[in-house]
Amino acid sequence: MIPFELAEPRSLGEALALLDPADLSVRPLGGGTALMLMMKSGLFAPKRLVSLAHLEARYGAIAARAEGGLRIGALARLREIERSPEVARAAPSIPRAMRRLSNVRVRNVATLGGNLAHADPHMDLPPLLIALRAEIAIAAPGADGTPVERRIPLADLYRGYLETTLGPRELIVELLLPPPGAWRAAYMKCTTRAADDWPALGVAAALEMEGGIARDVRLVVSAATDRPTRLARAEATLRGKAPSADLLARVGVAAMEEAPVLADAQGSAAYKRALLKVYAVRALERALAGDPPRKAAP
Amino acid sequence: MNAPPHAGRQVGRSIPRLEARAKVTGRAEYIHNLALPGMLHAKIFRSTVPHGRIVRIDVEGARAMPGVAAIVTGADIKRLIPEPYFGPAFHDQPILALDKVRYAGEPVAVALASDPHLAEAAAAAISAEYEELPAVYDEVEAMDSAAIVHETLKPAGTFPDLKHLAGRKNTNVALDFRLRRGDIEGAFAAAAHVFEHAFKTQHVLHVPLEPLVSVADVGAESLTLYTASQGPSFVRIEIARLLGWPENRVRVKSAHLGGGFGSKLYIKLEALAVALSMIARRPVKVALTMQEQFFTITKHATTFRIASALDRSGRITARRCAVYWNGGAYADIGPRVTQKSGFTAAGPYDIENVAIDSYALYTNLPPAGALRGFGIPQLVWAYESHTDMIARALGLDPLEFRRRNLLRNGRPQATGTILKDAATEAVLERLAQRMDWSGHFERGTGPVKRGRGIAIGFKASIAPTTSVALVTVHADGSAALQCGTVDMGQGSDTAMAQIVAEVLDLDARKIATQRPDTDVTPYDMGTLGSRSTFHMGNAVRIAAEDARAKIAALAAELGLPPGSNLPVAELFKRKYGMQAGTIVGIGSYVPSYTPPEPGTGLTPNATPFWMVGATGVELEIDTETGAVKILRLVNVADVGRPINPRIVETQLSGASIMQLGFTLTETMRFERGQLTNGSLADYKIPGFHDLPPAIESEAVAGEQTDGPFGAKGVGESGTFGVSPAIANAIHDAVGVRLTELPLTPEAIYRALAAQRGMPLEVE
Repeated sequence: MIPFELAEPRSLGEALALLDPADLSVRPLGGGTALMLMMKSGLFAPKRLVSLAHLEARYGAIAARAEGGLRIGALARLREIERSPEVARAAPSIPRAMRRLSNVRVRNVATLGGNLAHADPHMDLPPLLIALRAEIAIAAPGADGTPVERRIPLADLYRGYLETTLGPRELIVELLLPPPGAWRAAYMKCTTRAADDWPALGVAAALEMEGGIARDVRLVVSAATDRPTRLARAEATLRGKAPSADLLARVGVAAMEEAPVLADAQGSAAYKRALLKVYAVRALERALAGDPPRKAAP
Repeated sequence: MNAPPHAGRQVGRSIPRLEARAKVTGRAEYIHNLALPGMLHAKIFRSTVPHGRIVRIDVEGARAMPGVAAIVTGADIKRLIPEPYFGPAFHDQPILALDKVRYAGEPVAVALASDPHLAEAAAAAISAEYEELPAVYDEVEAMDSAAIVHETLKPAGTFPDLKHLAGRKNTNVALDFRLRRGDIEGAFAAAAHVFEHAFKTQHVLHVPLEPLVSVADVGAESLTLYTASQGPSFVRIEIARLLGWPENRVRVKSAHLGGGFGSKLYIKLEALAVALSMIARRPVKVALTMQEQFFTITKHATTFRIASALDRSGRITARRCAVYWNGGAYADIGPRVTQKSGFTAAGPYDIENVAIDSYALYTNLPPAGALRGFGIPQLVWAYESHTDMIARALGLDPLEFRRRNLLRNGRPQATGTILKDAATEAVLERLAQRMDWSGHFERGTGPVKRGRGIAIGFKASIAPTTSVALVTVHADGSAALQCGTVDMGQGSDTAMAQIVAEVLDLDARKIATQRPDTDVTPYDMGTLGSRSTFHMGNAVRIAAEDARAKIAALAAELGLPPGSNLPVAELFKRKYGMQAGTIVGIGSYVPSYTPPEPGTGLTPNATPFWMVGATGVELEIDTETGAVKILRLVNVADVGRPINPRIVETQLSGASIMQLGFTLTETMRFERGQLTNGSLADYKIPGFHDLPPAIESEAVAGEQTDGPFGAKGVGESGTFGVSPAIANAIHDAVGVRLTELPLTPEAIYRALAAQRGMPLEVE
């Protein structure tokens, strides 16, 4: 590794100013868990890293919103989110999913914003947060240098493998979750090599249940696809109906048929489609059961 | 004087490891942490093609970088060492590539700088041009491939049975070992049943968590090598040979190793470190990254074709074995694996007629060598899968079928050597008891099915090999041990100290053990093949007995009655008039051995001792996904009498966990000779969450009559049965048979889909 400049701005405005849209070797640094691996392997040699560790405290805060909604600052560490009582109340499926997200050493330093912006389709949080109807706030330098924010659904962040719709001088500043209402959700991770591994498949399911009927459904596949992807036909198969075993099996088949599954080192596309058929059903069943605690990780 | 046959005050007790405190408090010394004044760091530029003639190496850009001390190529080394080829079996491996490269990842040039990051950047600035040559990757194709890895075979001359290969041209066969016993053709012709199967194993890696590292400091008259090596004596001999120096000018020091498993044996980075230090005239450190270990030494991938003839009663009357070992681009110790493990390829069964052909093959892949088991796990994988398949085809219980055919003490093994002190029967029976094999077994419900399986294997200790030890008794009566056995985590320091303490009636925790240093510690063949407890253990016992006899002689000289309990310190004081003097006990051990007859491979004395290991597995399979979960892993082994029962247990469980990784998760993936998963993110060793909830390891009551206090080796026995026991249990659970490692969920799912008549498309 060749020496590089580490900038440590004290405000979001300063951080945005230090980013250089013309130079790809200038990058923001969150927890650094992904970036350091790329640097060690020689894949990325930065000229300057802009550390976000010392920005205004609100960008790392977790706070309840009206009616049980939640806002999480992009610089919150994954471990803080995992242990937050607010998160446990508003979205218990998040801390449940965290238990198998990498390991505690990584969760201690990795930030939410970095996790979302890295856009590796193998990440565990994006599919779950998309199922939970999350939005993100994105900041860019305004005309007078003060940051201006825009807000998009998290699903719209992802363009492809390691590719986002973020501009070169934009930073994710916070995540917003709507009130849970009658929604229930779960995320299931399937690894095929070792337990502690990138998933071959991730499936997040969320259902809005009313009188035994799934009024709305969100089913998101990740890891097996080049980005977290909602499965519209599978969702439609279930929407407005009572989730019986037969119907869930049909949802599984629909998911398998529509997902643009890719092969990689974790498995062939044919195998991962077969896994998706099973895991779509299991994720929905788990969500319906209220994502009960699992015995041990994993 | 004969050792007492039973456990004593020191031997047979589970004392804590002597180095444990130093390790957990971060005080233990590792070469990895060593820095010498003025030291340069070497970073290696590696070949990007699997087979090619070197047209040009462009080093100018790198050489011009500020701070770069030197850029070194094979040509620079050849000016210093005219024949810069090394290796334990063949002198085939150039220190840096010369003329051509033989695998993608082979070292081609080196950048030297005081700053390792700068050296790394300089190495990345080197480029090379190759004229690509046809390459061969598969071990069976290598038998008659047009692509030839080495134009001429160059056996080292160390091993008499490789001499006939000298000068052979146009072949990739580095050794063709052959064993013939009885009338194979006749037995197959007369058989009631014949079964034939083929099995494959994959390339895997040792993954010591301390990567390979060597530091060389060459002076005008002598040189010192600090190296994370399992065999300092061999390193000294090989460096002395390369330089044409006498051994006494070459000092090789080892240290605690952060794991070895066979990867740090013979000679690896040492010749490069020495050559670089000679060129730079400064100390040079060559420290590999985790990634670079994938390009240094691997475990042989194999293809094993096995056929058995049986009579009507279910007795195996003949077995024919053809084993192909994928040795990669350089022989390393592969030809020894091919022969020394190859001769047990028919398994621990009493078979009259046996034919074994075992081939060491060169291919254009990273070299393969010794890895915990020295080829035995590959063989057991095949013959114990095959054994189960026969039993099931004949409708026999797999345990009963093994009982019927088991090789027992007093009966000849395939070489003709009579089995002795090998508790095959006790191991198999104890495993059956622990598995409650005759009891009811719950088969699972719904999509989750349960199954169980067993497997048993054996290994011959490699012969002939020598160990020498010194036991020093100081003037105050304290004792120190000088021996070349390298403690790489297996607990040998503790076991050796227990042996010294037992003989000298001291406390094992107070024995000082010298780290291997060839200027101080006498010759030892190497810490390999589970040989140290037996060979070095005997040498240490003899050395301690020699010291004890010298103490007794001193007492007699001082006029004391025999059996006097006067403290040793008092003896020295009476002799020299003050606290002074030293007693040195010497022990040397080389077991007897008869080389195999050329052509038939037969010998009445193939090995000093046999290791026996068996594993039983209970597992469940999610038939909807192919996911397999090992519920219970039971290892039973014959280790003779354990010197330290607790360490023995952890050796067995550790070995079985390592083999669990080689069975379920680990595989080096190559695409046209290019490794595609050379990192621990993509090459998955098992983590704690992958371990079975129940792992049980047991040493049966055994005795190696000529071992130190009845002990023998243990480091590998836990690996033998794991892979086939799992495959056998998978078959037991869901009725599909996998013949190729690793046993991944996808492989299981595909087999299940094919069984349902709905095979998954092949991509």
